[in-house]
Amino acid sequence: MRDFRRESDGRICAVFEPEEVEIVVQLASEGAALAQHARDGADLRSDPALIRLLPDAYPDDAVASAEFRRFTTDGLAERKAVNARVVIESLAAPGHGPVEVRLDDAGSTAWLRAITDIRLVIGARLGIVQDGDDGDIHDEQSALLRAVYDWLAYVQDSLVGALRR
Amino acid sequence: MTDAETLGDVRLDEDLSLGSPWVTIVWNDPVNLMSYVTYVFETYFGYPTSEAERLMMLVHGEGRAVVATGTREEMERHVEAMHEYGLWATLTKADA
Repeated sequence: MRDFRRESDGRICAVFEPEEVEIVVQLASEGAALAQHARDGADLRSDPALIRLLPDAYPDDAVASAEFRRFTTDGLAERKAVNARVVIESLAAPGHGPVEVRLDDAGSTAWLRAITDIRLVIGARLGIVQDGDDGDIHDEQSALLRAVYDWLAYVQDSLVGALRR
Repeated sequence: MTDAETLGDVRLDEDLSLGSPWVTIVWNDPVNLMSYVTYVFETYFGYPTSEAERLMMLVHGEGRAVVATGTREEMERHVEAMHEYGLWATLTKADA
C-alpha cells in the first residue's frame, strides 16, 4: 500500500496491492451483507457485531432504545451498506495490478465509516472489548483476522492524516 | 404590543432552556483510533482541534465524555450521526 495523501486537485489518493484489494473488498462485502441483515429485521442481540454497529441509544432504557431503533435502524443500516459499496466500487479496476483509489470528500467519508464498521465487526468477532485486548487468537484464521484488523487501523490513520492535512 | 412581544420572547427563552436538559455521551471503545475520534469531533461538531482533542482524551482516559448538550431531539440526531461514524454514543438527561 502507498499511504493516503492529498493530491493537488484536492482528491485523497492511495495505492493498494492486489491482495490488499481482495481483502478489503471481501470484508466490505460482508459488511454490506451484515447491514442488509439488520435492515431485514435481524435480531441485533443475536450478534455482538450488529449490536456494536447499531448500539443502544439509551443505555438504561430498553423501551426508548427500541423506539430510537424503530426510527433509525433502517436508514443507518442502509447508509452503512452504501458506504461499503462505495469502497468496493472505488477499488474496482481492470487488470490485476495495484489499484489507485482517488476519493472526493464524499468518498473519503464513506471510506472512513466503512473501514470503521469493518474494524468494529472484526473486533466483535475476536472478542476485543476493552483497550489492550489481543482478542481470541486461537488459530491461523483468527491470527490473520487480527493482522488485518491492525492493518486497517493503519489504513484508517493514513486516511485521517491525509484529510486533516 | 411591544410589551406583549417582549413577554413572548421571554417565554420562548424559558421554553428553550427547559427543553435542553439532555446530553450526548461518547464512550471509550477499544476499536476506534484516537486520530479518528478527534477528526469526527472536529468535522461533525465543528470543534476546534484543541477542544476536539480534549474531548477525545476525556473519552480515552475517563471512559466517556459529554460532547453536546441540548434538546432530546437534537441529541438523538447527534447519537444517530455518531453511530453512522461508528462511535459508541448514547443520550441521557443532563441531571441523570
